[in-house]
Amino acid sequence: MAILTLAMTFLVIAFVSALTTGKYPISLADLRAGDPMAVRTFTVLRLPRALMGLIGGFGLGIAGFVYQTVFRNPLASPDIIGVSSGASAGAAFAILFVSAASPSTTVFAFLGGLLAVCLSLGLTALSPVKENSSIVLAGIAVHALAQTFLMVLKLMADPEKQLASIEYWIMGSLAGVTASKIPVPVVIILVTSAVIFLLHRHVLALSVREDEARMLGVSVQRTRFFILFLATLTVAAAVSVTGLISFIGLLAPHTARLLTGHNKQSSCLLSGIIGSVLLLAADVLAKSLAAVELPVSIFTSLLGAPFLIYLILSERRH
Amino acid sequence: MAEFFSVQDISISLGGRQILDHVSFSVDAPGHVIGLLGPNGSGKTTLLRALCGELPHDGHVFLEDTELAGLRPKELAKRVSYIPQQSGISISMSVLDVVLMGFYSKLGLLSQPSADMKAAALRALATIGMADLAERDYLTLSGGEKQLVILARTLVEDTKLLLFDEPDSSLDLGNKYRMVRMISELVHGRQNSAEADFSIQSQLSENFAMRNADADHSGKTALICLHDPVLALACCDMLMLLKDGRLICRLWPKMDSVKDMEKAFSEIYGPVRLVEISDPEMQDKTRLVLLPII
Repeated sequence: MAILTLAMTFLVIAFVSALTTGKYPISLADLRAGDPMAVRTFTVLRLPRALMGLIGGFGLGIAGFVYQTVFRNPLASPDIIGVSSGASAGAAFAILFVSAASPSTTVFAFLGGLLAVCLSLGLTALSPVKENSSIVLAGIAVHALAQTFLMVLKLMADPEKQLASIEYWIMGSLAGVTASKIPVPVVIILVTSAVIFLLHRHVLALSVREDEARMLGVSVQRTRFFILFLATLTVAAAVSVTGLISFIGLLAPHTARLLTGHNKQSSCLLSGIIGSVLLLAADVLAKSLAAVELPVSIFTSLLGAPFLIYLILSERRH
Repeated sequence: MAEFFSVQDISISLGGRQILDHVSFSVDAPGHVIGLLGPNGSGKTTLLRALCGELPHDGHVFLEDTELAGLRPKELAKRVSYIPQQSGISISMSVLDVVLMGFYSKLGLLSQPSADMKAAALRALATIGMADLAERDYLTLSGGEKQLVILARTLVEDTKLLLFDEPDSSLDLGNKYRMVRMISELVHGRQNSAEADFSIQSQLSENFAMRNADADHSGKTALICLHDPVLALACCDMLMLLKDGRLICRLWPKMDSVKDMEKAFSEIYGPVRLVEISDPEMQDKTRLVLLPII
């Protein structure tokens, strides 16, 4: 409980910093006075961006928790079933053939991510061996396919503009977030995270070896499909707006587990909160350190990697 | 009355090789510990996995007139528990959470374990003597403790048929006997097993059929795959000897003569002697010791 309170405190600090940092200085007084420029900047750009950081980070953290638990693998991440590469290919496709304007990138990235997931899970459903390993194998195949498609798109792209946009999207950024873009992804993430949280008992049951889980009464294939679909939907919704964001899905669950002990329901929640804090903090750095906006993934990795190294070095062995 | 548990003509062949060849047996009433013995590769584990529906097979398995094949996982889990050699829990979770998984089949999609269920889980942990470890991380327990926690989970599952896959495989001598004693208590009811001390006894006078008529058993039957014949003789009411996928012999350790059992064991393990020795510490009781003839 103390840990959750502490995490919430950090979350509030990170959220407030995200609201108060940016190119255009906004003071509380301006907002109170109703300065139209300040209000507009705040409601159209600043607040949506901070909200997306909050909710997106939360979703990535929770999804990471699910992947690591279901695959019983501390290195499992959304990419294990190809969602990130699918989303990248979708975004690149939109940048090349639809319009570089942001709403279409978001829609196509989401569709690309979703398509990758449906392919991976669909391939697994068709395969006679329906185990974790076949999901991972199908994921690798889909990942490779999406990467190839992405490579072809990059080759076709105009190097000056389109290629740069694709690369920039892949590095991830909250810079393009506006009020109009976030309602659908935010609602999706909130709903899927809430369902995942409520289904925590099933997520945990899926971490048990399959034959044993089945004998406990778990409909392994159905439950796993449903829960992975939820987690992946969360990731697809988040990255469709932000571009690829590395490391949060990997780091947040580890930190949460180390802080709470076992894989409790509170670890799942804490994993989401840590994801939010990490993404908000990374975004604050991305928008304030240099004259130009920097990709947020640089900072999620920069903040995350040393922390992970610290955790590895200080972890007590069983 | 129909049989309590009946296995009819179970056959499995994998890649052209017959792993199980028309295995059939049945028990009329619950309250039995049935041991499954056989050399490596005789099909013990395969039979167990077939019974719980993990392996496709020919033949039928009935428990209280319900055919087990085709039951949904939840329905199957309400009737049958499967206890693997080693539990496949590989991420850290509390011992209490592991035991609470035993209620999975009784909970709805979104419901959480009730206070009663938690209390029952704690009682189960107390039964195996691990009440104070409820909040410990399961992964930090020793092999023996892990098996006992899984046994506690089986207690809360409260099923009619318990399938144990070599529960003795990773346990030391003390824990082995502790484990089978608990299984026996679970099946026979506490009363019976308080007297049973698992010294190997061949009290032929104890009428097996009479004991079955006793009402104080638990309504459960356990089928245990075992490596150690001496352990099996100590804890099982009935032994089934498998060789090359065929059920070659059925023994009732408390009724069959030592000579007959020796002959049967020799068939599966090679030449052995089954020796009856008296235990000076326990009057009126004899133990059976199995010695390979080298």
